[in-house]
Amino acid sequence: MESPLDARETRWRRRLDLAAALPPDCSLLSFTLRMPAPLRLGGGYDRAAGEWFDELRGFLAREGLLVLSYEFRVSADGPEGFCAVRGEGKDVKRRAVAFEEKHPCGALVDVDVTCPDGSAPGRRELGLPPRRCVVCGAEAVPCVRGRAHTAEELRSAVERIAERGGGCRKDANEEAIPRLATGRNVPYTENAGDPDLCDGAKSLDETGPLCAFIGRCAGTAVLFEAAVAPKPGLVTPISNGAHTDMDYFSFLASAAALAPFWERFVRLGVSFAPGARAEERGSAECPPPDASALFPLLREEGVRAERAMFSATGGVNTHKGLIFSLGLLCAASGMLLAEGGDFSPEACAGRGAEIVHGIVERDFADAEKKRPSERTAGERLYIAEGVTGIRGEAERGFPAVVTTALPCLKKLLSNGAALNAALAETLLLLMTAAEDTNILARGGREGERSVRQAARNALALGGMRTEEGVRAVREMEALFSSCRLSPGGAADLLAVTVFLHLMERIVS
Amino acid sequence: MNGVKNSVAGSLESSDVLVTVGPAEGEENKLDVESIVLKQFGARIRSVAEEVVVASGVRGAAVRIQDRGALECTLRARLETALERALKA
Repeated sequence: MESPLDARETRWRRRLDLAAALPPDCSLLSFTLRMPAPLRLGGGYDRAAGEWFDELRGFLAREGLLVLSYEFRVSADGPEGFCAVRGEGKDVKRRAVAFEEKHPCGALVDVDVTCPDGSAPGRRELGLPPRRCVVCGAEAVPCVRGRAHTAEELRSAVERIAERGGGCRKDANEEAIPRLATGRNVPYTENAGDPDLCDGAKSLDETGPLCAFIGRCAGTAVLFEAAVAPKPGLVTPISNGAHTDMDYFSFLASAAALAPFWERFVRLGVSFAPGARAEERGSAECPPPDASALFPLLREEGVRAERAMFSATGGVNTHKGLIFSLGLLCAASGMLLAEGGDFSPEACAGRGAEIVHGIVERDFADAEKKRPSERTAGERLYIAEGVTGIRGEAERGFPAVVTTALPCLKKLLSNGAALNAALAETLLLLMTAAEDTNILARGGREGERSVRQAARNALALGGMRTEEGVRAVREMEALFSSCRLSPGGAADLLAVTVFLHLMERIVS
Repeated sequence: MNGVKNSVAGSLESSDVLVTVGPAEGEENKLDVESIVLKQFGARIRSVAEEVVVASGVRGAAVRIQDRGALECTLRARLETALERALKA
């Protein structure tokens, strides 16, 4: 096995290689834990390190730096992360130092900056104070080099600082029952760099278990949607609908591959929340960042999620649309969590809309510049007919879900309907309520008309609650399969409906 | 012919040290020490380095140490690795 010293050399070479490959106006940040080896290696801080690294990227985004790419792993020398940003080295280093000083657990991380020319601006050349020892507060390097403190002193100092991170605490029980945030989460307090001035930070809410819980709500929503039957034209446990390239197992494999991503979207939202720094920011001199600045980060995570999906399904697109919608709402929930936790469907969907504000115009302006052959189905539909699809739905705050599908689902459930029947019927309603680019792309306006008409007809006959309704749904199944109509857009919105429904229960 | 080649070991991360070895002019070993804690530990770093260099049996090597506050065990390991790489056939 590689030794810690070898791992550090490998990291150093990678750092120089990654930096050298960057454009001249960019910089590379490297992230490592700043604690003695016995704690850094298998001391229980791997997960916390990943969270702090996520928070570092959120912090950089709030500071207006564009994060180009990043990677994180646990090597033989402990957790390590790299993150490329657009920005000049010294300026980026100043912000890295601000993170080290202001994040509640910043004293436990090292964030170095490397320029494409290999130079590494340090604190000293920027005229910034040196790093402090976690035990005695004196200049750190001589303390470390001279082994000024015992292992026990270091361990307890590290633990004390790690506890300020709330949810990041190393012993945090992952399965602990999530509780609603009672106050605001303030990840970046003015005095967090100084252990003794940090009383405020000790009351940090434990956002960790709630992030995991919200992520699980999303994972559950994906599975529930896949399991519902009947779903005309769509894949169910007993039918492949209009599809020949995927089956129920493709959806399960995809759901499993995507499961870890939902919490990451939540955490991106938590670390970005404008409310998280409102006090520090004071008044108008530093206004809260625009929620839409979070979107580039989400898109990057979304690309990673898509890759995981494609590798799980052998290249079949099972959940691409859902990664967009549900990833967005997970991040929106994360922001709300950091701000004190109003998880009403309106709040979640509304925040989602703020994050994607302007997306229809931006994305389709880009599409118009492309050659027709390079455009996606959704882009072609927008240019030809002004169909805005899921982007438009998200930008308007998911009205089909919030005002139509969710009230319907809740009513059915409160009237005692079984979950499967209630979801199947809600799907019918969604087929009538939203533009579905999956249908439009394959069946055109005529296909869409017949889908809507059939769904409306089945609902009028009593949906899943009457024999006639169920018979109409069976007929839809046959029709959609033979005409190769697959209402995938409606299916995605059904999963979104389930997610918002599950989230609403956190409040109660 | 002592056959000292150019080699490096370590890094410029904090608490680490980058050791660079190359051929020197003549049979004497040369030692160049740069450290952020030179005031407190410069003498100690130099004596450890001399000890490791002598123990390696190398002759005519220029050894450059760029120290970022490495522990003594790290310094020794980096020196040994750099010298080993410089002498490898």
